[in-house]
Amino acid sequence: MQTWTEKVILFVWCGFSYVFLLSPMVVVMGASLHGGEFSAAIKFPPDEPSFQWYSKIPTEQFEALALSLLVAAVATFIAALIAIPAALGLVRSNFKLKFAITSVFRAPLQIPAIVSGIAFLQLYYLIFDTSGLMLAGTIPGMLLGHVFIATPFLFGTIVAVLQRFDHRLEEASYSLGAGRWRTLYRVTLPTIMPGIYSGGLYAFMVSFADVPMSIFLTAPGFVTYPVELFYAMENDFDPSILASSSIVIVFCLAMLLVVQKVVGLETLLRSGGGSAR
Amino acid sequence: MENRWIAYLIPPFIVTLLLVAGSQFVFIQNSFYQDLGLGRTGTDLTLVNYLKFFTDSFYLKTFWITIKVSAIAALLTLFLGFPIAYVVARMKSKLAMFLLAGIVVSTFVTIVIKVFGLIIIFSADGVINKTLLNLGLIERAYSIIGTQEGVVVGLMHFTIGFSVLLLYSVVVTVPPSLEYAAQIHGASRLRVYQRVIIPLCAPGFVVGGLMIFNMCMGAFTSAALLGGGRVLTLPVLVQRTVMMEVKYSTAASIAFVLLVSVILINLFSLIAIRRLRSARLVVA
Repeated sequence: MQTWTEKVILFVWCGFSYVFLLSPMVVVMGASLHGGEFSAAIKFPPDEPSFQWYSKIPTEQFEALALSLLVAAVATFIAALIAIPAALGLVRSNFKLKFAITSVFRAPLQIPAIVSGIAFLQLYYLIFDTSGLMLAGTIPGMLLGHVFIATPFLFGTIVAVLQRFDHRLEEASYSLGAGRWRTLYRVTLPTIMPGIYSGGLYAFMVSFADVPMSIFLTAPGFVTYPVELFYAMENDFDPSILASSSIVIVFCLAMLLVVQKVVGLETLLRSGGGSAR
Repeated sequence: MENRWIAYLIPPFIVTLLLVAGSQFVFIQNSFYQDLGLGRTGTDLTLVNYLKFFTDSFYLKTFWITIKVSAIAALLTLFLGFPIAYVVARMKSKLAMFLLAGIVVSTFVTIVIKVFGLIIIFSADGVINKTLLNLGLIERAYSIIGTQEGVVVGLMHFTIGFSVLLLYSVVVTVPPSLEYAAQIHGASRLRVYQRVIIPLCAPGFVVGGLMIFNMCMGAFTSAALLGGGRVLTLPVLVQRTVMMEVKYSTAASIAFVLLVSVILINLFSLIAIRRLRSARLVVA
């Protein structure tokens, strides 16, 4: 049993941590309701709340958002195509260099994103020098980088699910006359689906939020949303940025609710979304 | 059967190996050419970039600041993250999942938006400055942009969501029955913390702390925005060297120093895990 003093201390300590953790997001959403004309007066809580800045979000920000969503979605899809067979192959087979192979798949997590960013930029320059094909500032170039940083999240969660997989399910399927492919599609994949969903969510969100990799791969008129925000902050910004940021926060919340409905939050936490990093 | 699964592994492995090796090889090789500025490089392999890094006091100071702010941020993050992890892990109601959901959402939101919020909170007429001014604790408004404290706060926001999830998975491994057992035998709550909870969580703290430290070392966005060009860390320096000075091989050599330090810390934490695990087996 916890004593009352302990409960009070933990409550205050926890409350402080939560305020620290969540206050920036609450403040951004609150300040986006700024009523005045001048951005210098951005404040929390806002003086005369209004939604005016929501209708003043410039089209560049929507274009950046669209690009971010597209890149994150396609990168997650490609990452899944890489991670699913990789995880299946790795968990099911047994050979000596397993640890080394796992390290290669997890390597992008160990490399700081800024290092990967400059590495991909220099790789693209080398490709340009030898073949005249410029990948920096194009969708394929951006996708390649994002697949690189997103794959380990899917790989990690799927491996975690596969390690708890009950092999008797597959044996039952074989003994009932199903072939290899039928067993894969009807038994194995549906069982590891929660891992794919939660890993996919993490992969999507990491790609959607990324600055250090994308900042090297953007070009004028070709900017992802976080990078657009990054540059806006280095210069002067107006409250429309806060309005679009609030939309993104609500979007993140909505994504979590969807996952909660589809696989449940416990699966998300248990499949090691946190430890994947 | 065995061979069939290896066949699944080969295509994704080749793709990943190409991406990892290809990208890393090119920049590491570039770092060994002399930097002639404006994107041009020499043709002979040399160590001149690295000699410059380890002899120039500017680079060494940046390296030191990176380690310092990362270490402070990691310790403070553990300090703030532990109570949440402990309370949520010991909670029996549905509220626990709700509280964890708050953490997960905060890890999804891009750090740029959080830094936005921080800047509004700490602005000249923001909540914190007004309170401190009214209380008479400070004489004039305090700005966090361009200070090391600001960078530390930014790094903490970058890592705290992750660290709570990590510490949660550590606390869950300590069954509450151990706490009850200690109390039945007459231990006070303080004693339970001293002799049961903290010793059992310590390996997780050490390893988690190293992982958080590593994340901070490589963190670019928060350090760049809150450093405001006055506080530089290695990741910020890499980006500035590429974008403002167009010195690719110098940037590559800084990036490689960063990469090697991060990998060394990782190896160290792997060894720490092994050591702590075997030590724990002896105790048990």
